[in-house]
Parts: sequence; structure tokens; C-alpha cells
Amino acid sequence: MQYNEAMTSAQTTPEPAAIAVQGLSKRFNLQPVLKDLTLEVTDGSLCVLVGSNGAGKTTLLRIIASLVRPDSGAVTLSGMTLKGNPALRRQIGYLGHQSLFYSDLNAVENLNHYARLYRLDYPSQRAAEAIASVNLVKHQHKPVRTYSRGMLQRLAIARALLHDPAILLLDEPYTGLDKDAALALDDRLRTLHRPGRTLLIAAHHPQRLLTFASHVAWLKEGRIAQHQPVNRLSETLNLQEYLRETV
Amino acid sequence: MNGFSNYLHTLWQVFRKDLQVEWRGRQGLPVMLVFALLVVFLFNFALQLTPALQAGLASGLLWVALAFASTLGLNRSVSLERENNALDGLLLTPADRSAIFFGKTLSNLTFTTLVALVLLPVFSLFYQQNMLNPRLLLVVLLGLGAYTSLGTLLAALSIQTRTRDVLLPVLLYPLALPVLIAAVEATRGILGGQAWGELQSWILLLVACNILFLAAGLLLFDTILEE
Repeated sequence: MQYNEAMTSAQTTPEPAAIAVQGLSKRFNLQPVLKDLTLEVTDGSLCVLVGSNGAGKTTLLRIIASLVRPDSGAVTLSGMTLKGNPALRRQIGYLGHQSLFYSDLNAVENLNHYARLYRLDYPSQRAAEAIASVNLVKHQHKPVRTYSRGMLQRLAIARALLHDPAILLLDEPYTGLDKDAALALDDRLRTLHRPGRTLLIAAHHPQRLLTFASHVAWLKEGRIAQHQPVNRLSETLNLQEYLRETV
Repeated sequence: MNGFSNYLHTLWQVFRKDLQVEWRGRQGLPVMLVFALLVVFLFNFALQLTPALQAGLASGLLWVALAFASTLGLNRSVSLERENNALDGLLLTPADRSAIFFGKTLSNLTFTTLVALVLLPVFSLFYQQNMLNPRLLLVVLLGLGAYTSLGTLLAALSIQTRTRDVLLPVLLYPLALPVLIAAVEATRGILGGQAWGELQSWILLLVACNILFLAAGLLLFDTILEE
């Protein structure tokens, strides 16, 4: 309800960014990871978050997904904060480094569980469609502990997209995928990239994503060093140089 | 009303998932049961108690077996959510986080109560005490309710730490001491044939612990779970 009201009011005022991060700082064991980081991702963009290992990409995505509490700063999604507004979590699809599945349950049981927690209509049907979309129907009744790394990643992608979220936070989504599965993910991301849906994808090797991404943000030493549309990459020599090094 | 039905829905889904995982994996309940029965057998044969001493010790032994078995169940409950970071999956959903706490508490209580229901007849047999007494069942339920609600809260706290395997019992046993003392005293009173009125203070302490730990879970679970 609050979300709808905010959407209506946005018609008369400048539209808030789909993801707005303001002055975010986070330390782990007194070691600063994010330092006064500010980033705005506009609605409908596919922004690739690049940065070297330990730059804080995962931490940033986990803070936006409300899995980690920042030391200071604020995150708003379409102008609203997640704090005190748990229904807003329905807008987020998150793919992390781990699958988030129960190993003893099979794919159907795991996705049914999530579909019911998201209160989706026809949860079994939605779970079945999600499994079919990542080509795992043949293995859907096997416990997920028997899955290979690539199969788990495909199922995790299905979980992240299960509730048709408006904001997708994907952390190294190509990890463990074979060539065919990676191509299928390319197609899926191209289809998902449209007005009304915003994607923020962390990638250490972003080259394949840059062929269809709209923006690239470079996370360096805890701050966003560059944030540019992909078609203006030639203007930012430092980022271009960094991207060449990651090939 | 819709909010409350959503709350109950989440609680039920978490509880149902825990039962489903246990049914598929069978890694928690059998271990808890074997451990609890082992305590009963070992103490019975090792101590060679006279009937008079058995009556005095039965309440303590019962709660030692239940408390340790319950801790095993709580550890399993933690490892279940830690594996593949499944807890993050729960936290990402719009579910109320305190409903997750109540769901987890309910499943932990269910497993421990099932162990108690097997243990009580065995205790009756070995220690020649009538353990199938409705008043005793109430005390067991109240004691386990307080113990598992505190345990679930502390398990959520320990899941965020590197020393999680040892942290849970280290935190749980001292904090659960009032619960265990009240439960042992109330059990001893019931087995000794004391009137209900004489046990009232222990029963009230158990009720108070239940309310306190459930309220703590309701208020703190969200904060505890965020890194």
C-alpha cells in the first residue's frame, strides 16, 4: 500500500532512484570496507558493479538487501527505507555466494517453501515454472545436496527470480555455470532488463555483462570511484584500464 | 487481522519446513533420543540406587537428559540454517522476523517434547516412579518451553559468531539455570506427592520464564539476526 502511494506521488515529483545509497560506511573487525559510499541506480538500469577482490561489492549488495546492518548511512529503494517496512523486501531478489537452500530438501520443496513465504499465488505452480526456467526439471526431486555447483547456481537464480522482484541484486551470477548455462543467463538478463526492473550485478570479470549493461560502477577502496553509462566508458580512462586488466 | 494471519502463516511455514527437513534428513531427533536414553540407562546401571534414592534423583536425571538432548536439537537447528546460509533466505522474505523466531522455537519444542514423551515411560520403568502424571507433563512442557525459547534466541545469537559451536552451551546453561532449578524442584515435588499449592512458586517461575524469553525473542530477534 505504502509502495503504491509512493509510486503515485512520484508522478508529480522527481522520481527517486530505484536504489539510492547515501554515505554508507561499514567496518568488519575495525577494518573499513565501505567508506562514506554513495550510489544511485536509476529505475530500469542494469548496472555492473566492478572492483577487485575485497573491494566491498558483496558487502554493498548485502547491505542493500538488508542482510547486513551498515555502521552509518542509508539505503532507500524507490524512495523508501527497508527499516520498519518488511513488505518492501518483496521487491528484492538476491543471489549471493551461497545457494540459501536446505540440503536435505529437493528443488521443488525448497522453492515451494520460498514461494509460500513470499505468499505467491499458486506457489507450487510458480516453483515448477522457476525450476523449468533453469532447466532442472529432470533433477527436481533429488535432494539439493546431490547437485553440482553449476546446478545449485541455476537453482539459486531461479529462487532469486521466483517472486518477480523489481530490484535484482546478483553477486557473481556466472560462478559455476557452464557455457550453455552462462549463455542462457545472458538471455535471461537481457529479457529482465526493462523499465520497471533494476539490476545491480557484482562481477569481478564483467566483460560479458558489459555487452548489454546500461551502466558500470567501479568500487575502489570502499567508495564508488566511477559510475558511468556503458556507452560513455571511453571517457573514463582509469575505469577502461581497470576493465582491460580484468580480462 | 490480515497482518496477524500473515504472521501465523510465516510461523507455520518455518515450523513446517523444520519438520520436513527433519523428516528427510533424520539427523536431529534420533541423536537427541539416543543421547537421552543413554543417560537414563547409564545412570540407572552406574548408580545402583535404592528405591528411596531413586525418587530423589529421578527429577534431576530427567532434566539432565532433557536439557542436554534439547541442546543437541538446538545445535542441529543452528547448523540447518547455517548450511548454505539458508537463514539469509528466510531474512530476505517479507516475513516478520519474530515469526521466524516463534516458528523455530515451536519446532525445537516439538522435537524436545517428542523426546520427553519417549523418555518418561522409560524413566517410569527404570526408576519406578509414575512419570505419566498430567501435572508432571505440564511441568515438562513449561520447562521445555522456557528452555527452548531461550535456546532458540541464543542459537540465533551464536550463528553470527565464529565460536558458534561452543558459544551456545556456554551461554545457555548459566542463563537457563533458573528454568532448570524450577523444573527440577517442581518435578521432585510432584514425584514426592506434594500438593499443587506447595509447588505454585516453581510453576509460576516457569511461566514467568516462558513469558520473559518469548517476549525477548519477539523484541530482539530482528536485531540479533542482522550482521
